[in-house]
Amino acid sequence: MNTSADDHKEQSNFGDAGEDLTYADIVWGQFKHNRVALGSLYAIFGLILLGTMAPVIASNQPFMWELDGVRSYPWFTNLFDRLVFENPVDIFFNLLLVALVPGVVLIGWRVTKLRASSLTKRARRRRMRSEASVLLIVFVLTYIAVLLFPHQSSYTPYPKLMDRIETKGVQQVDALFPIFDFGFRDTGFRPLAGPGNGHLLGVDNSGRDVAVRLLYGIRVSLTIGVVAVAIYVTIGIILGASAGFFGGRVDLGIQRLIEIFMCMPVLFVIITLIAFLDHTSIFHIMVLIGVLRWTGVARLTRGEFLRLRNQDFVTAAEALGYRRRTIIFKQILPNALGPVLVAAAFGVAAAILLESTLSFLGLGDVSAPSWGQTLKEGYSSGKWHLILSPGFAIFFTVSVLNLVGEGMRDALDPKLRQ
Amino acid sequence: MFTYIIKRILLMIPTFFAISLMIFVILNFAPGTPGASLAGGEGSQSAEDSVGQRESYQIFKEQFNLDKPVLFNTRFQLDTATVRAAIGDVLNADRSVSISRQIEAQVEIEDWGNYAVPALVEILGSDDVVEVRSYASRRLPLNAKRRLRNLYGGRSSPEDRAHNKTVLSENRQISTLTFPPTASKQEQAEVTLAWQTWIKKNSDRWDYTGTKKLVILATDTRFFKYWMNLARLDFGVSHVDKRPVLKKVFKKLRYSLSLSFTAVLLIYFVSVPLGIWSSVNQNTTSDRSLTVVLFMLYSLPSFFTGVVLLNFLTRGAPFKVFPTSGFESLDTSGMTTLDYLGDVLWHLVLPIICLSYAGLAALSRYARTGLLDVIRADYIRTARAKGLPEFVVIIKHAARNGMIPILTLLATLLPTLVGGSVVIEVIFGIPGMGLYVWESILLRDYNAIMAVLLIASGLTLVGLLLSDLSYALVDPRITFD
Repeated sequence: MNTSADDHKEQSNFGDAGEDLTYADIVWGQFKHNRVALGSLYAIFGLILLGTMAPVIASNQPFMWELDGVRSYPWFTNLFDRLVFENPVDIFFNLLLVALVPGVVLIGWRVTKLRASSLTKRARRRRMRSEASVLLIVFVLTYIAVLLFPHQSSYTPYPKLMDRIETKGVQQVDALFPIFDFGFRDTGFRPLAGPGNGHLLGVDNSGRDVAVRLLYGIRVSLTIGVVAVAIYVTIGIILGASAGFFGGRVDLGIQRLIEIFMCMPVLFVIITLIAFLDHTSIFHIMVLIGVLRWTGVARLTRGEFLRLRNQDFVTAAEALGYRRRTIIFKQILPNALGPVLVAAAFGVAAAILLESTLSFLGLGDVSAPSWGQTLKEGYSSGKWHLILSPGFAIFFTVSVLNLVGEGMRDALDPKLRQ
Repeated sequence: MFTYIIKRILLMIPTFFAISLMIFVILNFAPGTPGASLAGGEGSQSAEDSVGQRESYQIFKEQFNLDKPVLFNTRFQLDTATVRAAIGDVLNADRSVSISRQIEAQVEIEDWGNYAVPALVEILGSDDVVEVRSYASRRLPLNAKRRLRNLYGGRSSPEDRAHNKTVLSENRQISTLTFPPTASKQEQAEVTLAWQTWIKKNSDRWDYTGTKKLVILATDTRFFKYWMNLARLDFGVSHVDKRPVLKKVFKKLRYSLSLSFTAVLLIYFVSVPLGIWSSVNQNTTSDRSLTVVLFMLYSLPSFFTGVVLLNFLTRGAPFKVFPTSGFESLDTSGMTTLDYLGDVLWHLVLPIICLSYAGLAALSRYARTGLLDVIRADYIRTARAKGLPEFVVIIKHAARNGMIPILTLLATLLPTLVGGSVVIEVIFGIPGMGLYVWESILLRDYNAIMAVLLIASGLTLVGLLLSDLSYALVDPRITFD
C-alpha cells in the first residue's frame, strides 16, 4: 500500500539508526505504514480515553454545588465513592482519570529530559522502562489500596435535589454539572423514548439514558476483553513454553491437556456455567473466558518454542551458563511473543463479542452497563434506537481490534516486509 | 496411514473420557440443584415435619443418582458421631444453626441412604434425647429401604418383577417401625428392639470388606453410573419430561442440520469463486474494496445482524416480508412436498444469512491466500508458457491445489454443523440444538446438557481427525508414516 518514495525514506531512516535497531523497532516501522491499522490503534486509544472520561461527560454529581453560600465539590469527592461507583472497574477508570493529567505531564517531562541527555539509545530505553515500571507499580498499589479501603458517604442525587429546590424556589442554589447530569444507573426518564430531548440516543426500557449507558459500557467491554485475554495469554504462555522447551513427557501431557480443552465446546460450557451462577459479575465472565480459552495461545507458544529451542542463541545462552528461567523468559520468550500478541488482539475482540453475546442472552452482569444488554432490550421491544447504537458500538470496537490484529500480523510477516 | 488412524482413535478414547469427566465435574459442582423446583418450599417449613413430604423429591434424586457423591464414595466410613451431629443440626433444639445448614443437614441424611442405617440404629439404641431417637426411628424406614430394580427402564423381566415384589413387601414391613417423640417408654423399647433384630438379620448388607469398600468408592458414584449408561449409548432421560434425551437430540438435529448444512453450502459456493476472483485481481481497487467489505462482515456480530434483519424485514417496521420465527409454518398439513420445502426455505433465509456471512468472509480470505500461494509456483508459469488460456490455468491448474486448505477446514466445521448456533436459533426461534441447549440450561436439565456437550466434543474430536486425514488425502506430499 505504500508508495516507493515512502519506502525509500524509511530505508534511509533505518540506515541512520542501523546499529541500534531492535526487532520491535522494525515491526513498529512496518505497522506505521499500514494507515488503516494505525488509525484503528488510535481509535482504540480514543475508546479508552472516552471510557476514562465518562464521568466528566455524564455524572449525577455536580462539579460544584453551592447552596446558601456553602460551596462543595461532590464530583471530585465522590469519584471513589462505592455508592456512586460500586463496580471495581469504574474505580479503576476513575483512578486512571485522576492520574491522566499528572501522568501525561510527568511522562512528557521525563521523556524530553531523557531525550536531551547524552545517554545512548539503549541506555535511555532501559531508564525509561524502569521508570515506567515504577509508575505502573505505584498505580496498581494505589488501585489496590482504594479497593481495600472502600470509601462510602451518603448518596445524594443532586439533579433531583435541585429540581425540588427550584420548585420550592426558596433557597439560592448554584451548580455546575457535567454535560449530562445523570449517571448510567439513573432511571426516571420516559421509557423507550426516542432520541432527542436531551437524550442523544434515546431512553431504554427501564427509563435510563442509552448514550450514557453505552459510554460507561466502553469501560466494561474493554476491561472484560483485556483481562480475559491477559488471563489466558498467561496460562497459554506458561503451558506452551514449558511444552516447547522441555519436550518429552511434559510436552505429551500438555498436548493432551490442550486437546481436551480444544474439543470442549467452550461456548456451551461458558453459557451453561454463567447461567447457573446466581449473581453473575463481570469477573466471572472474565475468569471463565480466561480459564477455558487458552489453547490457541498455548499451541502458538509451543510451536515458537519448538522452532527457537534449537537455535544458536539458545545454545549460546546455555553455554554461558544462564539459568533455565532466564533462558525461557529472557532469551526465547521475547522472540516468541509476536504471534501471541497478534492472537491477543484478535482475542480481545472475540472476548468482547462473547461478553456481548452473553449479555444479549440475558446472562451478563445486571448491575454493569453492557452493550449486549441494551441490544437485548432492542430485540424485545423492536425499537431502532435500542438496536442500532449498541450494535454499532460492538461492531466498531470489534472491528478496530481486528484491524489492529491484522496490521500486527502483516507487520510481523517477514514476507510482507518492505 | 492405517496404523496412524488406529493410533489416533485409541488416543481419542482417553481424551473423550477426560472431557466427559471435566464437563461432568464442572456441571455437578456448579451452583444450583437440578429439579430444585420439585423440592418445594425449602426453608419455609420446619425441617422436622417435612420428612415424609420430601420423599417424592428424594425418589427423583435417586432416579437420577443425584443422591450419590460425584466422583468418590467414602460413605462406608460414616460413623455415628457424624450422623448424630447432622440429626442435631436438623432438629436444631437450641436454635443455634442457620436454616440453610438445617436444610443441608437434612439433605445429607437423605443422601446417605443405606450407608447411614447402622449409625441410625445405634443412635436409636443409645440413651440419647427422645427427640433425636424418634427422628432416627422415622428416618430408618426411609434410609433402610431397598431400591426397586429396573423401575425406570421400561422393559422389566419376570425376575425383576419378582424381586421388586419382595423388596416392596420388606419396605412395607419396616415402614411402620417408628415412634413419635411423645411415645411411651415401652413403645420406644419395642421399636428399638425390632430395629436391632432387623439389622442383625440383614447385617451382611453393612459388612464392608476391603474389596467391597473399593468397589463402593469407585462405582457407587454419579460419574460411574453415568458412564455405565453412556457405554451403552444411553444418555439418560430428561429431568423435565422424563423422555430419553438422545431421541430428542435426534429430533432437534433435523432442524439444526438443515439450517447449518445450507449455510455451509452457501459459504463454500460463494467464498471459493470470490477468493479466486480477488486473488486474480490482486491489489486492484476492486480487490481492496472487497477485502474491506469482507473484513467488515467478519467483524459484524451475527446477533446484531439477526436483530436488525428481524426488525427490518419481519416485524412490519417497515417491511413484513419474512416470517418472524420458527422453522416452518404452523399448519403444514395441506402442503405438497415442494410447497413445504419452499415454506421451510422461506423461514430459513434470514437465519442462514446470519449464520453464513462471517464464515463466508473468513473462508474467502483463506481461499485468496491459498490461491496466491500457488499462483507463484513454477508449474503455473509452465502452464502459462505452454500457451494455455488464463482461465484454464487458474481454474484447472491453480485452484485445485490452492483450495486444499479450505477443503480441510470443512472437517472442523462438523461440530458447528451439528451444534448449531445458540444465539441465532434463539433470535429466530428455530427449534434446533442451540435452542434445545438454551432451554435445557434454563431448566437445569443436566442430562440434556451433558448429552449435547458430549456429542459436540465427540464430534470435534472426529472433526480434528478428519481434517488431519484430509490433508494427507488431498496432498500426496503429506504422509503420517
